[in-house]
Amino acid sequence: MKKTIHNRTAVFEFVLNQTVLLLLLAFIVIMSIVRTSFLAWWNIQSILLDVSIYGVVACGMTMLIISGEFDLSASSQYMWAQILFVTMLNATNNPFLSILVTLVSGLVLGTLNGLIVTKLRVNSFIATLGTMTMIRGLCLVFTNGNMVSTRNEFVKTLGQAQILGVSSLFYIYIGVLVVVSVVLAYTNFGRRLYATGGNIEVARLAGIHTSFQKTMAFSSMGLLCAIAGMMLVTMLRAGSTQYGTDIALTCVAATVIGGTRLSGGAGNAIRTALGMMVIVVLYKALIYLGLQAYYQNLAKGLVLIAVVVFDVYTTRRRAEKIGR
Amino acid sequence: MAGGPQKLKFWSRITIVLRSYGVLIGLVLIIVIASIMEPTFLTANNVLNMLRQASVIGIVSLGVTFVMMTGGMDLSVGAIVSLCSVVAIRMMNTYGQTGGSSALTLVVVALIAAIGFLIGLVNGSIITSINGRLGETFIITYGMQIVVASLALLYSGGQFITGTFTDGLYQQLGTGLFPIFLFLAIALVMHAVLTYTTFGKQICFIGANMECARMSGIKVRLLRTITYGICGMTAALSAIVVTSRVFSASPLQGNGYELEAIAAVVVGGTSQSGGNGGIVNTIIGVLVLSVLGNALNVVGVDANAQLLVRGGIIIVAVALDMWNKKTAQRMATI
Repeated sequence: MKKTIHNRTAVFEFVLNQTVLLLLLAFIVIMSIVRTSFLAWWNIQSILLDVSIYGVVACGMTMLIISGEFDLSASSQYMWAQILFVTMLNATNNPFLSILVTLVSGLVLGTLNGLIVTKLRVNSFIATLGTMTMIRGLCLVFTNGNMVSTRNEFVKTLGQAQILGVSSLFYIYIGVLVVVSVVLAYTNFGRRLYATGGNIEVARLAGIHTSFQKTMAFSSMGLLCAIAGMMLVTMLRAGSTQYGTDIALTCVAATVIGGTRLSGGAGNAIRTALGMMVIVVLYKALIYLGLQAYYQNLAKGLVLIAVVVFDVYTTRRRAEKIGR
Repeated sequence: MAGGPQKLKFWSRITIVLRSYGVLIGLVLIIVIASIMEPTFLTANNVLNMLRQASVIGIVSLGVTFVMMTGGMDLSVGAIVSLCSVVAIRMMNTYGQTGGSSALTLVVVALIAAIGFLIGLVNGSIITSINGRLGETFIITYGMQIVVASLALLYSGGQFITGTFTDGLYQQLGTGLFPIFLFLAIALVMHAVLTYTTFGKQICFIGANMECARMSGIKVRLLRTITYGICGMTAALSAIVVTSRVFSASPLQGNGYELEAIAAVVVGGTSQSGGNGGIVNTIIGVLVLSVLGNALNVVGVDANAQLLVRGGIIIVAVALDMWNKKTAQRMATI
């Protein structure tokens, strides 16, 4: 008797753990039945491209949420990276210098966020709300709200390059994903990050420099936002304060769908990638079904709410089970 | 502490003054500097205009104060303002064409307030159904912001709606001294509720320690849901004032209001961890931010650069608050 219950919970647990994958498969199957062209190669390409850029930021968001923090300013940092990169390209015409400057700027902004949160002890939601407003102000002052564009050849070739029929940006994403996963799973830094997010007091007592861990997570976020911003520029050859206003919360949704808990201490980047895939497929499906843009937004909002509610329910169920 | 007892006393006295009156000192400083740099700043016209503008954000901030007192957050207020704006103006346009009566205005105001309250209740029910902490309230109300904003756009077809009605009372709601009186009246009621009723005390208790409040038999879920409802209602009332002021409604009317309201509450000193703060703090916070915004306008800083200042102020205000707490703790241990 006891054994059957155990088996059933094991099956249930397994299904629960694979929700992302099942959700993704279900979406794809339904969509390809409703609209056969959904599985056309060009659509898959465009899905992979969308996943790549947002996915890079989602990797950073995963690290942050694991460490128990949060970054609302990702959207502004992403805009700033686009604008800075384009401006640098136009000014110097030297792609490598521009990349370097943008990366450093991302690192600095991220670290600044981290220091505000850890040293001034401001709640990360409020702190990044503040920096989000500030960086957006910076972008608007810089561009006057206009789009900036570049004709740089290097950027053009990189954006148009394809390997095995998939955009080069996708390979950059895979690279980032591998690095972040390895760092999280196999390095001391990664393990300390989980410990910090899991129980900060215990981590501190165990001798982990928790402020450093958190600051580093914020710095990585800044760096990844810069990379994502530059990826968008290579695709569009332009940057604007209009691109990616929803990136921060979309990445949070992806992270949560992927099973990383908002309370911190658990999760991994690969599952976040699957979560991002679910969201992008869903958005594409909404477009495919010919819904008006307003309805698409409506659906995005509802998905976000549903995801958080779902997350809390499943986390609580697990917690209760452990408690028993 | 190395500087001897005399120095410690001096510094602690300064911290006490700063802690109690820091924001007020800031307000006075801004007013003095702005009126020296630009003499037109303190004209009656400019001051009245400033206060009228302040009352729109002010009314929203009052509701947000309640929510933040319970240790939560509401990012959906801006979208509620947008939705209520387009609904209100369209309602007035439809029924107020032929010399409508003042009764119509009252009905519309009541209906709009009810809509705001209902949206707030939806926020609150979702949040309390999962016992959401700060992080969850952030994301859920952000989701609601997207949903409500798209409802506003759907309802208006993305169009700007101009007022064509002839009802006089509605137009008066946002002009003259009325918005300022409305702001003060709502503030007075909410202040009284917060300080003199059991409900108010319980809200403070929930903010200070939610678990403790639950164990003391306070209906935490119900009370939190109601605070979100109140927050939605104040946002709706602010929509009435703003649409009456400009005699039109845009489905993007409330964009960014939530950030201004949160900034005002935080600058006023209602701390993020909940519990302390209050309506008076928020009024001061609203005044500081609108005086600062107006001063920057008068001096000639453009709107985009003002974002930099606004974001910085949010961070500095919270950082100072945390620093105050640390000092208070240290002084308590000494």
